[in-house]
Amino acid sequence: MANTLFKTLRIAAGAALVAAMALQGASVSAQTASQSGRDGGQYIPTIWVDPDGCEHWVMDDGVEGYMTPHTNRQGIPVCRRGNVCGVMQSDQFFATNSARISKHGQARLDEFFRSSDATSFIITGHTDSRASDAYNMRLSLNRANSVARIAQASGARIADVRGYGERQPAAANNTAVGMAKNRRVEIICVR
Amino acid sequence: MNILKITALVGLATVVSACEDASFRELGPDKSMDRGIDSKHLSQLEAGIWVDPNGCDHWIIDDGVEGYLSARLDKYGKPVCSGAAPPTQTVGDFKQGSTRIIGDPI
Repeated sequence: MANTLFKTLRIAAGAALVAAMALQGASVSAQTASQSGRDGGQYIPTIWVDPDGCEHWVMDDGVEGYMTPHTNRQGIPVCRRGNVCGVMQSDQFFATNSARISKHGQARLDEFFRSSDATSFIITGHTDSRASDAYNMRLSLNRANSVARIAQASGARIADVRGYGERQPAAANNTAVGMAKNRRVEIICVR
Repeated sequence: MNILKITALVGLATVVSACEDASFRELGPDKSMDRGIDSKHLSQLEAGIWVDPNGCDHWIIDDGVEGYLSARLDKYGKPVCSGAAPPTQTVGDFKQGSTRIIGDPI
């Protein structure tokens, strides 16, 4: 009796499965077997924001999870906030065309790095758009390196040092105020 | 004996579908939610850091039966290689959700 019941159930389950598969096959004109499901091969993601404040595409497809950084077409991440923790206005720390930091500036930086709780730092130098691109690339890297040396001496870990010259302006270069804003060394705190 | 088998089968089916019913009911195009156990919107995920063999950081999330990995980039789009841990090591509490309950047999 129980055996018969089990057999009947099995047959019914098999029939239901066949019916379901037939229905699926008929309802979708998919390009590949992977696109024959209920989603028709369409994967609409949502956004996950990482602890740095930058966005990632994320999808849950049942027992699989997928994630990839949300960047623009230039490969720059889309971030709601950055983790820039210090912007040094170059005019306060460097003489024109120089990468040497004043005694007072050195003391301020030493204090900054000693009091920070970051795991490590990324230091990037920037200039305004006067002088040649090549000159500005060199000057901005030299300035970033000057800052990194002080950081290292104070015991901080440096993840990277870069010079971006005039290629990553923070403001328009058509006013004196804008240009002053672009002459800077940015410190990113990695936590 | 067979009654027992049927009962066990039905029971198992119920348990499994409660765990991760999405694997039995195929999902539509909207993949923005975790369904079944651990159900939540995916913006709620909690990440740790995995350091790749080159020393650069990735966000790692173990959310029960789903795993996620995505590059950590700075505002210029460059990999962040913080030195938070040696290559191939992880940092942080990234095993959320049912990983705690069902373990990670595989």
